[in-house]
Amino acid sequence: MTIDKKLENGTWMFAVAGRLDTNTAPELEAELKLDGAKEVVFDFGGLEYISSAGLRVLMTAHKAMAAAGGGVKVLRPNAMVRGVFEITGLSSVFVVEP
Amino acid sequence: MKKRTIVAAALCLYAALLAAVWHVGTFRARAMTEALLDYAVSDIRLTMDGAIDTMLEHVAVTCIRRFGRADRYAREEVDTVAHLFDIDELCIVDRAGIVIASNDPDSLGVDMNRKEVTRPFAALTNGTTKVVAQPFRRHAYSKSRRKYLGVPFPDGDGYVQVGLDEARMPKMINAQLAFLFDVEMGETVCYLCADMNTGALVSSLSVDGETSTLDEIGFDASRAPDSDETFEQTLFGDKAFCRSYVFGGHRFIMVVPKAEFYGTRDVLMVVMTILLALVLGAFVVLLVRISNDAKRIKAFYAAEDAARAKDMEIAKTIQTSALPAPLAANPCFRLAASMTPAREVGGDFYDFFMLDPTHLAFLVADVSGKGITAALYMMTAKTVIKDALLETRDIAAAFTEANKELCRNNSANMFLTVWGGVLDLETGGVAFVNAGHNPPVKIGERVEWLADKSGPVLAFMDGVKYKSRLTHLVPGDTLFLYTDGVTEAMDGKHELFGEERLATTLSAVTSSSPDTVCGVVRVAVAAFAAGAPAADDLTVLAVKYVRRSDRFVRSFPPTQEGVCQASAYLDECLKEQPPDVQASLHVILDEIASNIVKHSGASGFEVDVEFTEDPAGVRLVFADDGVPYDPLAHTDPDTKLPAAERPIGGLGIMMVKKMADSISYERARNRNFLTVFKMAERVKGRSIS
Repeated sequence: MTIDKKLENGTWMFAVAGRLDTNTAPELEAELKLDGAKEVVFDFGGLEYISSAGLRVLMTAHKAMAAAGGGVKVLRPNAMVRGVFEITGLSSVFVVEP
Repeated sequence: MKKRTIVAAALCLYAALLAAVWHVGTFRARAMTEALLDYAVSDIRLTMDGAIDTMLEHVAVTCIRRFGRADRYAREEVDTVAHLFDIDELCIVDRAGIVIASNDPDSLGVDMNRKEVTRPFAALTNGTTKVVAQPFRRHAYSKSRRKYLGVPFPDGDGYVQVGLDEARMPKMINAQLAFLFDVEMGETVCYLCADMNTGALVSSLSVDGETSTLDEIGFDASRAPDSDETFEQTLFGDKAFCRSYVFGGHRFIMVVPKAEFYGTRDVLMVVMTILLALVLGAFVVLLVRISNDAKRIKAFYAAEDAARAKDMEIAKTIQTSALPAPLAANPCFRLAASMTPAREVGGDFYDFFMLDPTHLAFLVADVSGKGITAALYMMTAKTVIKDALLETRDIAAAFTEANKELCRNNSANMFLTVWGGVLDLETGGVAFVNAGHNPPVKIGERVEWLADKSGPVLAFMDGVKYKSRLTHLVPGDTLFLYTDGVTEAMDGKHELFGEERLATTLSAVTSSSPDTVCGVVRVAVAAFAAGAPAADDLTVLAVKYVRRSDRFVRSFPPTQEGVCQASAYLDECLKEQPPDVQASLHVILDEIASNIVKHSGASGFEVDVEFTEDPAGVRLVFADDGVPYDPLAHTDPDTKLPAAERPIGGLGIMMVKKMADSISYERARNRNFLTVFKMAERVKGRSIS
């Protein structure tokens, strides 16, 4: 998994590529220093798949953002990842684009 | 035989024997009576005749002396002499046989040689004959029967003939009787003599010296024949056998009292009655006892047979029920096995089971002994070996363990021969141990025996360490296992089926299915034995290695690192699969493996990846030895809740359920098995090593 993150106008941008599972989720979680941000955007254009361990990280981010009055946005998930969001009902929690 | 029959038969025999004794006794007594009476009659006849002959000869000789020579003497002179000697007739006959002097005028001048009846007297003139006597016979000139006797003058110069009438006999007899009865009386026979005219008894024996008559002593003259015939009379109040002899105006009666004479027979009867009763009684007792014993023995054996038949039935049930059920179809191998119990059940068995998805364990064994003991021991042995194999997962270690266990529980001193192998479906390698069993046949390009032995029979010697051998099967090869019920099957001539016939039989089916191989061998053995009863169970097992396994099993440690390794392993397995299939399976693996690692407390977990053909797809099997946990038993979390209220747990399993095409859980052998199937196009020709 590769993580490329940057802060732009109070929005954290995380470009995550590869696999987000129990093995890699802790890495992503460790990168989630979200102080001062209102919104987190995950660019999953390069993500192969996501397991519940990855979802847990997204949920953690979502809770933090919701507390600050913001949210989580997911960009360019592949069919499989989109499917996971739909299965789990998280597609209604996060903003998923496109 | 029934007791009643024996007793009845003995009674019949008893009666028949007694009747026989009676009859023989009676017959013998009668015969002896007859003989005695015969003797008595001839005795009295000889005595009387002899006495008269002696007297007449004396008279004749006296006359010879008196007359001196044969001459014509005057009638008065001859009369005087006849009167003097008290005879009825006196003739002087000359040399020519002419009566030249006689007291009977009718006789004078008669030619003695002319008549047949008088001719014998001529012998007196030949100079050598001293006396000629004739019996009483009817006489031409006399009313009475008359007897003649002649004695010659010296130098054959004629002879003197004297005649005596029977009517004159009583006098003579009286003179003889005393002598006769004194001397000739037997012990059992008594003589009676009575005057024919008066019936007065002249013998004084039975009447104490007083004269009595035949009537008085009970004699019935009307039932007394004169001839030599025995008749019965009641004399002096006793029944008796009698014979009478009439002579000289007298009736001589020989008497044998019946009671006295049948005494022998009666004594014999008494003795035989007792003796036969004893002998037959003993015989009956003996027969009854034998019959009872026979009945008891028969009942005993019948019970024994019934018990044995029941034992056999139970043994057969045990033996056949212990045999494994067919395995689920597996594309990598085919297996067929059968066990035909003998009439007297032996202890054959076979077993086969998957040690894990890529390892097939199979074995054939023969327990020593027969019947229920062997069947029960076989159950134990089968369980012990299987447990040891599942525990150790190594054939040699399993045999060593099983032997230890079986030696410990072997009060019946049983033992068993076993050939067991483990086929690695990925490589075709067969690790095997032969514990004193018939080596199996490897049917490939050639038919060959796997002759290696690796240890003694099981349950025989404690502490044996078995070592495994290795052979390799290539796809298409078959291993044929059997017990000695095959090679030691006998035909009518006591010839064994043998290994050569087995090899010939198997050569014909080198490319056939295991079912066919087993069937062909069974048929060949049955045809060979041709109805001879099977002495031993007939067990065959054939396993054919069809193709290398598409299953890949790996074990991983129960850590996050293990999950990572499993993921990498899955990558390796799935590299030919489309990305979405790979992604789904990876998510599934990640969820389940991490669950096991976090929650089960397992010592490790296994992932089995299998590609299936129908339906085409990938089957993932997760196995772990952790606490029993069926993820499917939990309800899915509510995904409609606001994000903040959602429990995170359970989400993974829900994802797995949604992503998989089918999923099932099983708890077996203290392990959790979770099988997940995902449909996918099968990619041909892939290989992983």
